[in-house]
Amino acid sequence: MRLQTASSVISLARELEGESAKFYEDLAQRFAEGEDTFLSFAKENRKYIVQIERAYYGVITDAIEGCFAFDIESDDYAIETALAEKTGYSDALSQAIEMEETVVKFYTDAAEQSKSLMADVPRAFMLIVRKRNDRLAKLRSL
Amino acid sequence: MAVLEEPIKGVPLVRNYINGEWVESKGEIKDVVNPAKYETIGKVPISTRDEIDEAVKAAQEAFPDWRRTTPVARARYLFRLKELLEENFEEVSRVQTQEHGKTIDESRGETRRGIENVEVACGIPTLQMGYNLEDIAAGIDEYLVRVPLGVFGIIGPFNFPFMIPLWSAPYAVATGNCVVVKPSSEDPFSQLKIVELVEEAGFPPGVWNVVNGGRVVVTGMLEHPGIEGIAFVGSTPTMKYIYQKCGETGKRVIAQGGAKNFMVIMPDCDVRATVAAMMTSFFGNTGQRCLSGANLLVVGDDKFYTSFMDKVAEATSNIVIGYGLDESVQMGPLRDTEKKQRILGYIESGLKEGARLRLDGRKFEIRGDYPDTCFLGPSIFENVTPGMKIAREEIFGPVMSVLRAKSLDEAIDVVNDCEFGNGHAIFTSSGKSAREFQYRVVSGNVGINIGIVAPMAFFPFSGMKDSFLGILHTQGQEAVRFFTESKVVIQRWF
Repeated sequence: MRLQTASSVISLARELEGESAKFYEDLAQRFAEGEDTFLSFAKENRKYIVQIERAYYGVITDAIEGCFAFDIESDDYAIETALAEKTGYSDALSQAIEMEETVVKFYTDAAEQSKSLMADVPRAFMLIVRKRNDRLAKLRSL
Repeated sequence: MAVLEEPIKGVPLVRNYINGEWVESKGEIKDVVNPAKYETIGKVPISTRDEIDEAVKAAQEAFPDWRRTTPVARARYLFRLKELLEENFEEVSRVQTQEHGKTIDESRGETRRGIENVEVACGIPTLQMGYNLEDIAAGIDEYLVRVPLGVFGIIGPFNFPFMIPLWSAPYAVATGNCVVVKPSSEDPFSQLKIVELVEEAGFPPGVWNVVNGGRVVVTGMLEHPGIEGIAFVGSTPTMKYIYQKCGETGKRVIAQGGAKNFMVIMPDCDVRATVAAMMTSFFGNTGQRCLSGANLLVVGDDKFYTSFMDKVAEATSNIVIGYGLDESVQMGPLRDTEKKQRILGYIESGLKEGARLRLDGRKFEIRGDYPDTCFLGPSIFENVTPGMKIAREEIFGPVMSVLRAKSLDEAIDVVNDCEFGNGHAIFTSSGKSAREFQYRVVSGNVGINIGIVAPMAFFPFSGMKDSFLGILHTQGQEAVRFFTESKVVIQRWF
């Protein structure tokens, strides 16, 4: 679905964070070797939702282009968060990396599109991109 | 995308809030209609003259104690109100969408703007300070204090049912006055929600009153000797009437009226950002705001014009129309069928006068299963000349009239021929052009690469020509000045 309004993009961000948090909680249950890391990722995801909402609710005003700031195709950022029963640790990590790359791309694209139109929101997005890139490095090192 | 849950359930009857009590009006009852679904969502009373008198009396009685409440304590009531508004942010935003039709992004924006005025008014211990000078003569000192006056009437319009009364009310009560607010009878639930929170914040009875209704309530306010001043936002003809009546009855007044804003496009503008700004300027709030773009005035040669207008037309034709509680929707319905009919009349007029209807808003698709009763798509008229009715009169709907000019000088002349002076803007990457425009244009609010020139709460909401009558404005320092009188004291001790 094509998303052009700020609220729909914020909702997609909320959805991606929520789904990926559940995914990491699932990983934590299944792989004791990464439990602490995965739980910390899930916790961070929930914090990101708060940060994004705070940025959005703090700056959304009728003066900015809230309904016209984006052109995001939500299907381009679909993430796979279901783990097959026999998925091993290494494949699970690969799936996590793939998911993170998609989420990073979403935030990067959304920030780029809205940077001159949406006040603090693109900055909040890019902060998450930076933190998620750190996370990607960590996942690749596991 | 899912439609967000509606906060107004059933068909509640709006009551007045007078002297800290919820009072059922004796006036006739009118339906409140959700324009997207065209269904009745509530009932609002058209209150009587006696009821406005009762509210003013309550406010007058509350005034002496409220005035004596320290500014710091008054600010604390506002801090509590601010917190409650934040806690109820999403609900009050959805109320606006449900009763007015605007998109949820627009409603949340309106909520934020309203809250910002409460925040600014929280600074009243500083804002209300006077000044002094000792030894103006031997042993004599002089000082100025800003004193509240009593009771103020606040008359809100339909297009921003939550925010606009908050341009005034927080400053009025912060400075020690009491208020009687009359919300628009078309969408009264936003003010109802605010006053529920006012009650929860613990404001003393009589300080903040709400009386619902129409002309009788307005006339009652204008003629009441107990009301010291009026803050009004609405159409220009009503603005002139209000101003005249306030002159006759010796009231101070802020009277904000209509507009016909020009968006001047220079060939050196950032096209992508400018096109996005045009969408929100012309079609945001379905064109129902006094800061909306109305006339697009493109400067430059045919090549630039064609290229720019192709992009504007393409973006406009892609606007998603539907119920504002669907987060993917970019433009909601008009407030009611009368407004739609009025706009259709302007479209006919444009055609009769020879303008080219490049995009016909009468043909549109609605996302979701909603009746088309109050909906209208965005329209673009080209080949518009300054003398045409669609270029001169306020349409207050999603209609863009496109004019052309050969130079910035010509463009400024065209803009300044307009009867209104509310929120003209220029889009350019040239500082020289921008400076020239802001210097010469006769407009209370001026945009430079800004499509909706809405001043923040700490700046006055200005206006010139037929867009404003009065001296001081709503919001910020000017509102504090409006709601107080300067009392000058000269003292000597023997």
